[in-house]
Amino acid sequence: MLGSVDSCVLAGLDVRRVHVEADYGRGDPGFFVVGLATTSVKEARERVRSAIKNSGLEFPSNRLAVNLAPAELRKEGTGLDLPIAVAIALARAAKRPPARSAFIGELALDGSVRHVDGILVAVRGLSNLGYEQIFVPADDAAEAALVEGIQVIPCRSLSAVVNHIVGVEAISPAQSAPAGVSSETDQPDHDLAEVHGQEEAKRALEVAAAGGHHLLLSGPPGVGKTMLARCMPGILPPLVLTEALEVAQVRSLLGELPRDRPLDWNRPFRAPHHGVSMAGLIGGGTGLATPGEISRAHHGVLFLDELAEFQAPVLQALRQPLESGRVSITRSGGSVTYPARFTLVAATNPCPCGWAGDTLRGCRCTPGGIDSYQRRLSGPLLDRIDLQVGVRRVPLETLASEPTGEPSAAVRNRVVAARLRQADRQGCLNAQLKPSRLRQLAGLAPTARRSLERWSAQRGMTARGFHRAWRVARTAADLDGSEHIEERHVLEALGFRLQDVAA
Amino acid sequence: MSRTSSEDARGDRGVQAPLRARGRWPPPEGPRVAIVGSRRPSPYGEAVAEQLGLELARAGVVVISGLALGIDAAAHRGALNGGGVTVAVMGTGVDVIYPSAHSVLAEAILRGGGALVSQFPDGTAPRRHNFPARNYTMAALSDVVVVVEAAEGSGALITAEAALDLHKEVMAVPGSVFSPLSVGTHGLIRDGAGLVQNARDVLAAVSPGGEVLDDPLAPPGGLGFKLPRERDGILSHLSDVLALSAAEIARKLQLPIAEVLGRLTALELDGAVRRHQDGYVRALRRGKDSA
Repeated sequence: MLGSVDSCVLAGLDVRRVHVEADYGRGDPGFFVVGLATTSVKEARERVRSAIKNSGLEFPSNRLAVNLAPAELRKEGTGLDLPIAVAIALARAAKRPPARSAFIGELALDGSVRHVDGILVAVRGLSNLGYEQIFVPADDAAEAALVEGIQVIPCRSLSAVVNHIVGVEAISPAQSAPAGVSSETDQPDHDLAEVHGQEEAKRALEVAAAGGHHLLLSGPPGVGKTMLARCMPGILPPLVLTEALEVAQVRSLLGELPRDRPLDWNRPFRAPHHGVSMAGLIGGGTGLATPGEISRAHHGVLFLDELAEFQAPVLQALRQPLESGRVSITRSGGSVTYPARFTLVAATNPCPCGWAGDTLRGCRCTPGGIDSYQRRLSGPLLDRIDLQVGVRRVPLETLASEPTGEPSAAVRNRVVAARLRQADRQGCLNAQLKPSRLRQLAGLAPTARRSLERWSAQRGMTARGFHRAWRVARTAADLDGSEHIEERHVLEALGFRLQDVAA
Repeated sequence: MSRTSSEDARGDRGVQAPLRARGRWPPPEGPRVAIVGSRRPSPYGEAVAEQLGLELARAGVVVISGLALGIDAAAHRGALNGGGVTVAVMGTGVDVIYPSAHSVLAEAILRGGGALVSQFPDGTAPRRHNFPARNYTMAALSDVVVVVEAAEGSGALITAEAALDLHKEVMAVPGSVFSPLSVGTHGLIRDGAGLVQNARDVLAAVSPGGEVLDDPLAPPGGLGFKLPRERDGILSHLSDVLALSAAEIARKLQLPIAEVLGRLTALELDGAVRRHQDGYVRALRRGKDSA
């Protein structure tokens, strides 16, 4: 007797179809699972056997073989429990599964269906493969229902699924339509209006948010660098649907998606500690790599405080994702690619003690110490950060006065307008413009070009630095509502290049 | 603190060991002035040292310093920009450039007809205890020692001390009373060191008699330092000692920050202001950028 259903396994964000076949008949009693199943899948035998028995179904008492095809694909995870059990039940009932259907779920010994990680990714992938009816754990139904154009069947128990298929009692499909999910964002925790002074840094935040530029804040301890960085998500526009889904996919893989609210419109804000490992920041682990902090920060903000304290190899590994917006990691289980298009906000002290350059409070570091501290930041990584701004101590009289800063909401309106201009003109943010498109889309007024070239010659700017300043000038013009880049925009952009000053 | 003996100071009295030299040694005839100070000066101190180096070199003075970071480097650079001869007295072997970042500067000193000299054998690596001895040598080789910015306990004060022992003239450039870098120099002035306001004060000290009749400095009259011409409202708000952030300037002028940043950059391009880690300061002269 033969029964078969479809399911899938995940390799990062890739979905691979798995055909589950169950066959039983004469022979010595036994239960075999074949088809390159790893330990977690082999263990399914015990769960499936108990679940079938405890669901009031009969477990075949003779030889039972389950094949997971294609046999050359490595299969991992517990999501194959439900499809294996359903295939066995269908073999006994001599039934076929509904057309274009697929099954995912882990089984408890009593036959109930449990949550598995990565449902959103799996369901999107299955939908792309042409499946129309997908059986998922009831706990994960809201997550699966974010995918449009499919029918999601929430499964509470194995017996309910079998009853549904044989036509005893139908399960009503979960409500679909992600558009129905409230698109409200939370009130941001930090508002720019609460930040005293620091107009220069606030302006840098605004430019960074508008153009998607990476930003470095440099200044002594306790002047508000962290506070400023935490204001960043509040001046970014809320996620759009495709972005929110991409963010949710990464969280789904990690099992971090809240059940009651699978779709979150807030921009992610991640602030890993400087002791973070390579695998923690970039992604990694054994077998197949899991996403790291940079992928959790996809479409949001990655805040690295005390940048110079991070291990050098970890910082070096940031270079590829900073350029390409994604990261590829190869481990023994294969190579996976995760999205990592984030805005980097980094903060650093100017020297180990933090007070170099402060006129009133002396720095106690040796020149050699400052040099080696700053050298840890210099070079290729710094070259990829478009905006650098010094954050100073705010005078006491400013601190004591009432905050008079602009609220985040007002800044966000300008950022949204500037982003719209960019989307209309080029379909991407300014920070992602290649030099060739920059020449085409960001014409410089003659005076603007002259200033940029003069600065470049005076400071020995690299070609990369030249283009970065140009991109920032493009953003300054967009914030200004200007289609042409005037001299004042270039001059402002150059004002955010602290690295040309350190000498 | 005036010099009691002039002729024997010409030689190498007080130099303990034979000197090794690269480049032209001894340097051309003429007065020798050492310019020393903090390795981490304020923008003001750096500008003063560079300007003094430049103007003294133009007046035919051999500018002596220690090839260190900060004031030393600024003095050498100024002298080279003035087309003069400058001598670096090193605390390492003459073949060991320390800090290594100054190898370009050392080359320029040699090309400019100056010299690198040291009392230490070739190959001597930088050692903490060698530098005070070097400072003593520097004082011995100079007629006048000018200190520009020295915090308490600075090595520049050792040079000044040595100069007093050797009966050489010690002079100091005053700084901001708010700055810890002025403690050493103001202490010297309190104890009787000559006050340096411009290069002419130093020239007066190297030619005994006091009066510089043939003023070598152009333009004559007024201060030795030229202040940049006022172009708009921003410059008058900037100090040449304490750095001011763009935010503070914007607040004073009641202008949007984006505009102030742009105008500051324009002034920076013209060499009228300098950007510092901590904010903006007024540059002491227009001219090509030295950063």
